[in-house]
Amino acid sequence: MAAKKNREVCAVSRTVKVSGSVVAGFPSPAEQYLEPPLDLNEFLVKRPSATFFVRVQGDSMVGAGINDGDLLVVDRSLRPASGDVVIASVDGDFTVKTYRHDKDGVRLEPANPNYPVIRLNPGQELDYFGKVTACIHRFAGKR
Amino acid sequence: MIGLVDGNNFFVSCERVFDRRLVGRPVAVLSNNDGCCVSRSNEFKALGIPMGTPYFQLKDREAAGELFFRSSNYELYGDMSRRIISILRDEAVDVEQYSIDEAFIFPPTTAAADYAIYGRRLRAKILRWVGIPCGIGFAPTKTLAKIANHIGKKLPDGVFLMLDDPTEILSALPVQEVWGVGRRLPAKLHAVRIITAQQLRDAADDTIRSVGGVTLLRTAMELRGIQCHEGLDYDADPDSISCSRSFGEPATTAEALAESIAAYTAQAAAKLRRHGLLASGCNIYAQVFAPCGGGDFIGRTVVFPAPTDATNEMLRAIREEVGALYVSGTRYRKTGIVFFGLEKPGTAHQTDLFDAMPSSEKSRLYAAVDALNARYGKGKVFSAAQGLGARSWHMKRRKLSRRPTTRWDELMTVR
Repeated sequence: MAAKKNREVCAVSRTVKVSGSVVAGFPSPAEQYLEPPLDLNEFLVKRPSATFFVRVQGDSMVGAGINDGDLLVVDRSLRPASGDVVIASVDGDFTVKTYRHDKDGVRLEPANPNYPVIRLNPGQELDYFGKVTACIHRFAGKR
Repeated sequence: MIGLVDGNNFFVSCERVFDRRLVGRPVAVLSNNDGCCVSRSNEFKALGIPMGTPYFQLKDREAAGELFFRSSNYELYGDMSRRIISILRDEAVDVEQYSIDEAFIFPPTTAAADYAIYGRRLRAKILRWVGIPCGIGFAPTKTLAKIANHIGKKLPDGVFLMLDDPTEILSALPVQEVWGVGRRLPAKLHAVRIITAQQLRDAADDTIRSVGGVTLLRTAMELRGIQCHEGLDYDADPDSISCSRSFGEPATTAEALAESIAAYTAQAAAKLRRHGLLASGCNIYAQVFAPCGGGDFIGRTVVFPAPTDATNEMLRAIREEVGALYVSGTRYRKTGIVFFGLEKPGTAHQTDLFDAMPSSEKSRLYAAVDALNARYGKGKVFSAAQGLGARSWHMKRRKLSRRPTTRWDELMTVR
């Protein structure tokens, strides 16, 4: 956790205090090899405060590798760019679609020919929730 | 300069992030057991329905599709609150969480002109990242920052900077609306012809002290622009039941974290009892030590099986979650607890025979219960309110939305 953020570099001029009664200067030789285990959260979640998990229902995005029951990692902090897979609300329901923004306006495209493209009327603002940054698919069977 | 950030209609705003059908509609969130309105949308307020209106009086209008209600979803509100505090910790030099939806911040800027820009940027970030609209007020003291925040909330950009002489603002503000004066003193103040905040500020120290003692004098000093509220010590204010401290030396063990949080829980619970309140749950948190301040923030939300003021019940509920704050090899700067869902016992419901007892007797009761359990085995003696069957008692929350940030089986679904 502590290592994952590169904060502004600070002047290291202050005195370093050593806690406990152990004499400083002779750390365990093993200490420098100690590393935390790999953490999927670190891999999948860049900004925990802005990240939400949502569940996929249905097959409107199968062509993009998003299946019924998959778990999506959604980052609200990212602004959508044309071609991104996004979560948005349409008529009160949340949907996952590919966001397109070009001379023809804004639309939400499914990745399945059985579903219609959702077009926004000119002047209508997209009720954007966040950008999908990962899709987690579990295989059937025992786990 | 000190900033006060608070979420607008916080509970309703949290509901709206995950239920877009509630946007633009008159919505209220209900207290424990769906008792009365505790958070209202602007549309709901515009209908003139006051805070605290009992739900049963409004059921007909709900059935007619005119009003919308949700039960208190503390799991969700606690999580959204943690996210906001975490962003504030990234953006400010220091943060003091004051209640579930309010925090004081110490901005990293000193140039007057920068506060407004900083505030607007911060507000936009919280709105985009978490989805909650906030009001932000900056002023030289906490008491003035509270006032600035109330003004900011009503402005289109949500930010107000109290730079110049605030005499005009204070003359228009009834004295009972000043933070720290609240419900206690208005009648006494009116008797000495202190009606507005400006009159309190400009009154003679002796007069102020004779009415409200040193506490009120401190409030008056704060109105004069002199900082008197330091640290998290708002003992007179029942809106904030919280406790946090920095470690003298960064803590490195799970035991140190657990012990400190247990101690703060006991302190905050004592304050709850002093004010005759019960808490529905709490956020516990730990801040990672960083040499330059502003370390990462790890938090957990705990919702109690039933609203309580009993320290041991809280500790039992918190125990499992405390472990989650600890990451091996991490140094911690600070830990703390903030209670939420505060209510007077018996206002909305009567669940437990012992609720009617004074707290001193109740604590003796719990001491006796603990002693019996220690002797005859855990859980041999327990409150029937905990339920005789599954041993879990739940608040009535008929209109509870999903808990999409804390439960895997209640995630938001997308088609």
